[in-house]
Amino acid sequence: MKKERIARWIVIILVLTAIGVPLGSWWLSRAQGTQIEIHARMPENGGWSIDTIQAKVGQPIHLRLTSDDVVHGFALGKSDMESWLSIFPGEYVETTLVFEHPGKYIFYCTRWCGLNHWRMHGEIIVTGEGDPIPGDSLPLFLQYNIDIDAPHYAENIPSSPPSVERGSRFSDRLPNYAIDKQTYFLTSPEGLWLKLRSEPSLSDLSDMDIWDIVRWIWDRQNSSNSQSLGFKLFMALASAAHGESGRGDGVMARGLPVMDHSNMGSGLVRPPDFTDPHVLLSASPAILEGKIIRGGMGTGMPSWGSILSRDQIHSIIDYLYTIAWESIK
Amino acid sequence: MPMESLPYKTTPTNWKRWAWVIPYAGLALLILFIPLPLPFHAPQDRLLRIEASSFQFTPGEIQINPGDRVTIELVSTDVVHGFSLDAYGFELKADPGQTATGTFIADQAGVFRFRCSVACGNLHPFMIGKLQIGPNLLFFRGIALGLLAISAALISVRNVSRGTT
Amino acid sequence: MTRLDLTRSPRALALLRSRWPQFLLRAITLAGFIFTILAGLMGSVVGSHNFAIIFVWIAWWTALKLAFIPFGGRSWCSICPIPMPGEWLQNGGILQPRGSMGIGLGKRWPKVLRGTWIQAGGFLLIGLFGALTLTSAKITAIVLLFILVLALALSLVFERRSFCNYLCPIGGFSGLYAQAGPVELRVKDTDICAAHIEKTCYTACPWGQYPLALKSSANCGLCMECLRVCPSENIAVNLRPWGSDLGPKTKHRIDEAFLGLVMLASALVDSAIFLGPWGQLKSAAYNIGSPDWFLFAGAFLITALGILPGLYVGATWAANRFGSTNASLRKSLAHYSQVLVPLGLMVWIAFTISFAFVKFGYVLPVVTDPLGWGWNLLGLTKSAGVGETTSFSLVLQVAMLTVGLFWSSRVALRISETIRQAAPLIAFSSLFTMAMLWLLVG
Ligand SMILES: [Cu+2]
Ligand SMILES: [Cu+2]
Repeated sequence: MKKERIARWIVIILVLTAIGVPLGSWWLSRAQGTQIEIHARMPENGGWSIDTIQAKVGQPIHLRLTSDDVVHGFALGKSDMESWLSIFPGEYVETTLVFEHPGKYIFYCTRWCGLNHWRMHGEIIVTGEGDPIPGDSLPLFLQYNIDIDAPHYAENIPSSPPSVERGSRFSDRLPNYAIDKQTYFLTSPEGLWLKLRSEPSLSDLSDMDIWDIVRWIWDRQNSSNSQSLGFKLFMALASAAHGESGRGDGVMARGLPVMDHSNMGSGLVRPPDFTDPHVLLSASPAILEGKIIRGGMGTGMPSWGSILSRDQIHSIIDYLYTIAWESIK
Repeated sequence: MPMESLPYKTTPTNWKRWAWVIPYAGLALLILFIPLPLPFHAPQDRLLRIEASSFQFTPGEIQINPGDRVTIELVSTDVVHGFSLDAYGFELKADPGQTATGTFIADQAGVFRFRCSVACGNLHPFMIGKLQIGPNLLFFRGIALGLLAISAALISVRNVSRGTT
Repeated sequence: MTRLDLTRSPRALALLRSRWPQFLLRAITLAGFIFTILAGLMGSVVGSHNFAIIFVWIAWWTALKLAFIPFGGRSWCSICPIPMPGEWLQNGGILQPRGSMGIGLGKRWPKVLRGTWIQAGGFLLIGLFGALTLTSAKITAIVLLFILVLALALSLVFERRSFCNYLCPIGGFSGLYAQAGPVELRVKDTDICAAHIEKTCYTACPWGQYPLALKSSANCGLCMECLRVCPSENIAVNLRPWGSDLGPKTKHRIDEAFLGLVMLASALVDSAIFLGPWGQLKSAAYNIGSPDWFLFAGAFLITALGILPGLYVGATWAANRFGSTNASLRKSLAHYSQVLVPLGLMVWIAFTISFAFVKFGYVLPVVTDPLGWGWNLLGLTKSAGVGETTSFSLVLQVAMLTVGLFWSSRVALRISETIRQAAPLIAFSSLFTMAMLWLLVG
């Protein structure tokens, strides 16, 4: 009977070990939890397991991120692309965040994880002493009371690709307003072309010469750095919907109806075709900025105002115009 | 009884009965491994656009010829997927909206599976496609081996000398 | 036929006779089983990072089909932990032979439920829900827990290992193919048994077998209880040529044919789902309850209960007509079920090579981090790669299928009177092998 008792103890000890290891370490990790473990899941499966995080000014929070299904990303709203994290299924990535200002911060998923990817965001509520988060300036369309939903379609477009280089030859003949930053922001390329076309001092120039000038002005207003950052942001965040070439045929949107006036406001539609010069040449940076900040009001275009910084949005706009210019055949 | 003598029931094995095994094994190896000439096709450049969605590749079955220069455009349509081709060590990963492109020369003939290389959900381990490069010789070798197996079975049983009428 | 009796070696005999080696293995597998259930319930929901998925479906399932069965018949049953808790209660001890000291009603298993019918049904269920079970650690754990509890509950109502004998799908699988395995337990001298009145071996057998009457390895779980209680050292554990239970004179039941056909259908369907390039089929098999799944389930059941049995019945009917004696079709269906044994065994081996070789890379990472909580017990530096099918694996699959066709054809010929009579069954085997060949390397 002694052997029987030894055998029983062996079974009991082994089984208790098998139960104790997972339960014990689970309990330990709970008890001394200095980290916040967040599971990323597709929005259909619940999105972020924690979508509101509380923090104190100046006190670091340690996040331990993992994914339960597909590849996701993690970024704070308005943060640089370099700080974006990728979250791989079953693997852990850790990050520590410290906040200087009290207020509400956004975090969001940066890698497309299905049709509802853009819904995947959460908040970090930071409390404590300090100046509030510096706010963005008022969007241009609000400052200048522009209706960004008014239909626009350029009546005039260049008959051949305009050239920055040719446009620069006329730079000393331009009226002052033409190279003004504010003019650039509030005027569409077509609008500026019409304005310059009606300038008596430029009446000797051909239509194409004027387009060269507009192209040169647009190029002056944004740097190639900004364009390439805009390109990266567009590819990461937008191309799955707008298409890699901007044609509006992204993999997430290609099955949707084409937007026209009959289905305005009646649900999801395909994004506009940026490679059609009529579309972007009739839109001012202020309109594009407004659309990006506010979103598409039911078309499926999310609101980016709290997710992207104003500079990031302007980079994207800079990049968008290069699509339009380069699509002119 | 001596305890160490292991066998307890032995009828002397008639090894001659199994002599046929040697030529048959040789034949089987020959069928499996003999190099066969492949029909020649002038190599061509091929552009294959493959869409990856959970949990399939479209197209999932592709046929090309040996020597072809293959450019794969991998387009993910829902979440991040990958494309990893057996035996070629060729891999692509694509986010939705960011087509991944890569080129390789199809210098090995046969049927190769390609599989998703980025975890993309429960069925990810079984997200598989098939790339056939030239004729599927292994399949035909398999059929020939099957015929050989049946004839081997006939021989093995005939040699057992059971009366077959 | 040549036999090598392991009990003639004193060392092997001591090892088999002592309860300790087997007990320790079973205690470890029991702890592992319980750990697996917990890992499945508590660990990562990402299958490749969960011990339960990888150890059940990659490591154990592969070991069963590539090692335990082909080299040891029902050897897994001898160390399986599932009946252990129930037997502790039944026998009133864990290191005890069967006796009357324990608790439990000890009822006999109802006659109508005997045979391998329920086991075959269980295997069908595994197939119907396989895509989910195979990929969800939670479901895997729930199934394991259910099996453990069911076995325990049944052991309190019914005598011996009723669960193993009549319900366990793996028991059915192992038992069927153990007939082709190279291990058997038999009596040495039938006269000694005949003269022995107490039949202590029968009393001790948790499987309800009487060693003297044992003709097939299908029902013997190699637990060695009879060997331990035999007063005359009359039990032999033989190594034998593969396929020894298959022959013209061995007895077979019609439910073996059904079980064999269900196994074939499962191998076919699993190959199509898990190894094929058809994404819609995978999704259909996975989305249980969806209209697509019902289509899939219908197709699966038609294959398992309609097409394959139909072909088999047709082949048997033809074989019957070519025979000289007028055996009933029912008898012939049972008789020719032997052909399905080597065919099925080798097909499952080929499938496993294709299925599991690619995924062995997942095993070490879940040893180092069994729950997928980010541990690194072994200090590994890299995670699992994608894996690939090598040309070696492909050739091996073809070789295994070839061996299967050779073997089943040989069995068909040996149990037929004429080549003509065997031909329909050889044709059946060829057709099936070709389908598998196409699924695996086509
Ligand atoms: Cu996401
Ligand atoms: Cu994938």
